[in-house]
Amino acid sequence: MTGAAVDPSRLLSHLEDILGSDPDIDEVGFIHPTQFAIFNEAIHSSPSSSSGGGPQLEDGTKPKPAQASSSDTFFWHNEHKLGISTLVLDPLYRAAKDAFMDAYKRYRLLSYSHVNKDGKVDNNVLICSTSILDIMESEVMKHSKALLLLSCDFGTAWNSRKSIMLKKLLFPMIMDELRLSSLVLSYSPKSERAWSHRRWVIKMITGKYANVQEIVERDSELVKTLAENSKMNYRAWNHRCWLVSYMSHSQVLLELQRSRDWSGLHVADNSCFHYRARLLLQMIENLRHNNDADGSSGVEFHQLWKEELDWVRTLIMRYVGREALWLHRRFLSLVWMKHLANDDQSISCNYCSSTCSTFNMFIEDELMLFHSCTIIPDNDFGDYHAQAVYSATYILWLAKQLPTTFGVKLRRSSQYEVLRRLLNDVGKSCLWDSTTASCTSI
Amino acid sequence: MGELKVEKHVKYILTVEKKKDDFESVVMEHLRLNGAYWGLTTLDILGKLDAVDKEEVVSWIMQCQHESGGFGGNIGHDPHVLYTLSAIQVLALFDKIDVLDVEKVANYIASLQNEDGSFSGDIWGETDTRFSYIAICSLALLHHLDKINVERAVKYIVSCKNLDGGFGCTPGAESHAGQIFCCVGALSITGSLHHVDKDLLGWWLCERQVKSGGLNGRPEKLPDVCYSWWVLSSLIMIDRVHWIDKEKLVNFILDCQDKENGGISDRPDDAVDVFHTYFGVAGLSLLEYPGLKAIDPAYALPVDVINRIFIGK
Repeated sequence: MTGAAVDPSRLLSHLEDILGSDPDIDEVGFIHPTQFAIFNEAIHSSPSSSSGGGPQLEDGTKPKPAQASSSDTFFWHNEHKLGISTLVLDPLYRAAKDAFMDAYKRYRLLSYSHVNKDGKVDNNVLICSTSILDIMESEVMKHSKALLLLSCDFGTAWNSRKSIMLKKLLFPMIMDELRLSSLVLSYSPKSERAWSHRRWVIKMITGKYANVQEIVERDSELVKTLAENSKMNYRAWNHRCWLVSYMSHSQVLLELQRSRDWSGLHVADNSCFHYRARLLLQMIENLRHNNDADGSSGVEFHQLWKEELDWVRTLIMRYVGREALWLHRRFLSLVWMKHLANDDQSISCNYCSSTCSTFNMFIEDELMLFHSCTIIPDNDFGDYHAQAVYSATYILWLAKQLPTTFGVKLRRSSQYEVLRRLLNDVGKSCLWDSTTASCTSI
Repeated sequence: MGELKVEKHVKYILTVEKKKDDFESVVMEHLRLNGAYWGLTTLDILGKLDAVDKEEVVSWIMQCQHESGGFGGNIGHDPHVLYTLSAIQVLALFDKIDVLDVEKVANYIASLQNEDGSFSGDIWGETDTRFSYIAICSLALLHHLDKINVERAVKYIVSCKNLDGGFGCTPGAESHAGQIFCCVGALSITGSLHHVDKDLLGWWLCERQVKSGGLNGRPEKLPDVCYSWWVLSSLIMIDRVHWIDKEKLVNFILDCQDKENGGISDRPDDAVDVFHTYFGVAGLSLLEYPGLKAIDPAYALPVDVINRIFIGK
């Protein structure tokens, strides 16, 4: 049986009935017809299931109804889960799109007709057709929802919902938008339009209807959940970074703490480490603004930064050859050394010398780290080779950023030749040349 | 090693262009204008733009224009800068920019600049450095950069620079090759490349090349043919293309072809699409693969089209 035998508008009605009857749907799946039959037979709880008499096939199953009148064949709905047969996606999409575009066109025409030539609202027209306008609005909302489940980046549909929301500004509608975008993101986590729609809604409600902290926490959790299956999802992590500007100082610290374990389990996810970097930079900015005389900001920063550096070192030793970890260390070390260098100038000599030695010790430690990574065991797995290369580019990168300090120390160290040879062997001599060119003393 | 199957790719694109009614085309219909740009620019690079009906395409494009002056992805769709740029670019390919009410389009784009110099994609306010690039590229092609505050636009882009030298979609966002292309392209067009630390960014970009010779868009990701464009054009604009192995990249792109049915995919043996076909061919053009028209790395249009616009016929 092909989808062509089915009346598309009835399919659409059925889908919209299901969506209307269950605002708490949290999962949508597009199911192959063969799988579908299994779903239907096994768990279907609707009274119209095909369990009454009738002939049986050889394998004991009942034949599918020949008519589309039993739309159960194409939709499955149970416990807030919705399944749609892939057989009908084409006609369903077309029906939804046509219904939406038509409804939206008529709605806009009617809205504009309320406004007469000089831009003023025509009250006579308004009174008569307000109820018609309401009906049209709900048509647009109904059809756009169905359409967006099938084509999540159909921008015009998302926009229509925003237009209507602007006019109504009702809290339940707002929650509906968050629910719809969550639902779409659950199976299309990269949908750009779904993410930006969500941000638009949040911007509308922060401070007015809802507690900022709650929103931030909930959306941060949403990203974390989606990120589990959608690795390095740029849009999702960007959304999480966007939330950071809404966070209080204590929330930032809490996020750093709470997301650490997850990061430790996803050491190949560069986006999650970038998120940590974003939080750390926000923390620094907050500490700068605090402006306290007792130096507690400095202590807080030192403590946190050292912790992060030590933790990343542990991960590097445990998970051999992971690029994301080394890149995170580039960031941490650069900020750390720039901070230590600044301390030099602004504080008295006693402290200065101890900071100087801290600075030099740090460089020594990093060079030792590199050295330990160049020891490749006999039973080499590619990871150890990768580790050596990453540690080499790490050292060189720091030398390039800090030519007069790190660069100089590198030149004088016993690791210099090893580094040069290693980078040359892997075809990265262009990076070597560029670094040595910018360090006149190298 | 391999060779570019020009005839097959031309045939593939023409087939896609005609197929409007199958499910794959239908679910992408909201961005068909982008698809037109990818398909037609590829044909032009392959020297086969005359295989399409110019008048038909131009007429369809104009029907996509909204009363605000911006273009939607297809007829009846809401306007957005994403499709507006594609419209301008396709008209440029056909030397038909004059069918536009240039003032109207330019005003639409300029109206989307925000206080901080950033650009929204449409009236709904989402900002992204991609939109900065689109605005600057579009207005440059229309000779109307004077309608925006270029200094502030540049300042905003620079504020999106990260410590690793790369750029993200907004300040503080993760560096991403696609976003980097947009920022570097915008800075290039506005003569502001001195804001870029070329060695630092070149470093990040050349580290995108993986063992197979392909390029990825961010650390730890798989190579993808579209990054042959985003990374490569960025490297060319900052004069660091010699930091990658060009030959290996050429071979990677050629391996991504469907040599039987035409088209190019994101990586070898995957399904092809118009998007990756364009970026593969454009990438090969930048790598000076023989027989292809030269393409401008900042404007992403053939050099002869750019010359026509900026130097005259």
